Amino acid sequence: MMFTPRVTQKIAFGVLLAASLVVLLPVGVVVFVILKNGLGAISWEFLTEMPRSGMREGGILPAIVGTFCLVTGALLFALPLGLFAAIYLSEYAGDNRLNRVIRLAIVNLAGVPSVVFGLFGLALFVNFFRFGASILSGSLTLGVMILPVIITSSREALESVPKSFREVSLSLGATRLQTIKHAVLPHALPGILTGTILGVGRAAGETAPILFTVAAFYLPKLPTSLFDQAMALPYHLYVLSTQVPNVEAKIRYGTALVLLAIVLLMNLTAIAIRSYFRSRKKW
Amino acid sequence: MEPVIVTKNLNLYYGHFQALKDVCLSIGERRVTSIIGPSGCGKSTLLRVFNRMNDLVEGAGVTGEVLLDGEDIYRPETDLLRLRKKVGMVFQRPNPFPISVFENIVFGLRIHHLYRRNKEMLHGIAQESLEAVLLWDELKDKLGRLATHLSLEQQQRLCIARLLAVKPEVLLMDEPCSALDPLSTGRIEELMQELKKNYTIVIVTHNMQQAGRVSDETGFMLLGELVEFGPTERIFTAPGDKRTEEYITGRWG
Ligand SMILES: Nc1ncnc2c1ncn2[C@@H]1O[C@H](COP(=O)(O)OP(=O)(O)OP(=O)(O)O)[C@@H](O)[C@H]1O
Ligand SMILES: [Mg+2]
Repeated sequence: MMFTPRVTQKIAFGVLLAASLVVLLPVGVVVFVILKNGLGAISWEFLTEMPRSGMREGGILPAIVGTFCLVTGALLFALPLGLFAAIYLSEYAGDNRLNRVIRLAIVNLAGVPSVVFGLFGLALFVNFFRFGASILSGSLTLGVMILPVIITSSREALESVPKSFREVSLSLGATRLQTIKHAVLPHALPGILTGTILGVGRAAGETAPILFTVAAFYLPKLPTSLFDQAMALPYHLYVLSTQVPNVEAKIRYGTALVLLAIVLLMNLTAIAIRSYFRSRKKW
Repeated sequence: MEPVIVTKNLNLYYGHFQALKDVCLSIGERRVTSIIGPSGCGKSTLLRVFNRMNDLVEGAGVTGEVLLDGEDIYRPETDLLRLRKKVGMVFQRPNPFPISVFENIVFGLRIHHLYRRNKEMLHGIAQESLEAVLLWDELKDKLGRLATHLSLEQQQRLCIARLLAVKPEVLLMDEPCSALDPLSTGRIEELMQELKKNYTIVIVTHNMQQAGRVSDETGFMLLGELVEFGPTERIFTAPGDKRTEEYITGRWG
């Protein structure tokens, strides 16, 4: 059977459109189902109270606080380290064997399954450094996990700063370090922030890395030190869905909704930062 | 009159490729010296010798002497940062930072930690520098504007102002007008005549009329060699080398 080019064109368009709709479908369904079932659970009480009666009633405050602590800890650890590494790799490192190995390692680190990070955190932070199952161990584990994301996006951001900025700065008598600080970093910052937030959003939603390193099954109190265990939203959701019998659906979906909202909010922030600076930058 | 820059048997290598061959020249104080020659002959390379920007190229090596005010700038103990403060550079494409006009001008001052606490001084120098490039009247109310939103000519003037703020002695200009239209080019050329009163200027240009208009001395380069160097008048009317004559007449005819 033969079609005219016009018809072929229309069919192709239809197929492509269908493909994008299919991609959109699961996102839409997930959001719809979670909203439909979870919205009813959201209340001031749900967000600010301790769980009660074996997590079948009450709120999810400790899980929210726990996730917040873990994410902040991961950020404090991974952002400086990742940024320094990115600066070294893109501004200082030549093309020698050591640097090639480092770059390769980073690419590979990004592909490691998150459960492996969990085991790594258990071995290194919990057992070897004797931090125990604690917010510290969990944060560090999540930090290591998002390190490659931060390094890679920071490197891209640094390398997208035009070479001419560096040349001008050096030609005015600046040192390499001053050039990085004054002529490169400020212009790479939006990209670095975007990547960092996306990484952190990923950390907020992961269960496997915190499973062995920090997460408490049921701990109806807020953490008071870095060495406390803590509840966290993704793990709490897992527990509610599989380990505790007779939990009302709306509590499960409400928890999922809160987690989804946090991650979505971070991604939207990242997008907002990016588009704001993209509209300003012109070089 | 003592020359500001003198090179003696200057050779420059990019790895195994020799980009400058036995260049000997001397550049007078408060004069405009232009370097002309076909693409790839080493004009930019020569210019970047004078502020040692070639150091950034991996594998670049220099032999011979380059004297600035009588001192060899390629001695190991040369203070690179001071050298570059003294010998500034204007680039082919206007390249202001995407920050405000004011912050662009004082960029160098901030780098050198000058007038950190003294806002008035900072402002005074910004004004002086903008006045020197005849941009003050246009921009005095727009110091907070994003520099990248200015016209290309304004941007190039701003880049010159940014350079003047650190008080250099020598201005190196690498085809500073090649991104500008003829009218803007003309005005930048006028500016160069103005700047010549206080600064020594070396300009690389593809445009021989421009070299003729703005410069006191002209050097003609070919394949890394400085074929001829002398008063602009003479180079253009009575070139001593056949290759110079061919280049000049070829382009004009
Ligand atoms: N970083 C570099 N590494 C290796 N070779 C280089 C480098 N920069 C320039 N060259 C070579 O050196 C020679 C001179 O280059 P240069 O840029 O100085 O020429 P130019 O006269 O300024 O040319 P144009 O008029 O096109 O700007 C060219 O053959 C060029 O290929
Ligand atoms: Mg050039």
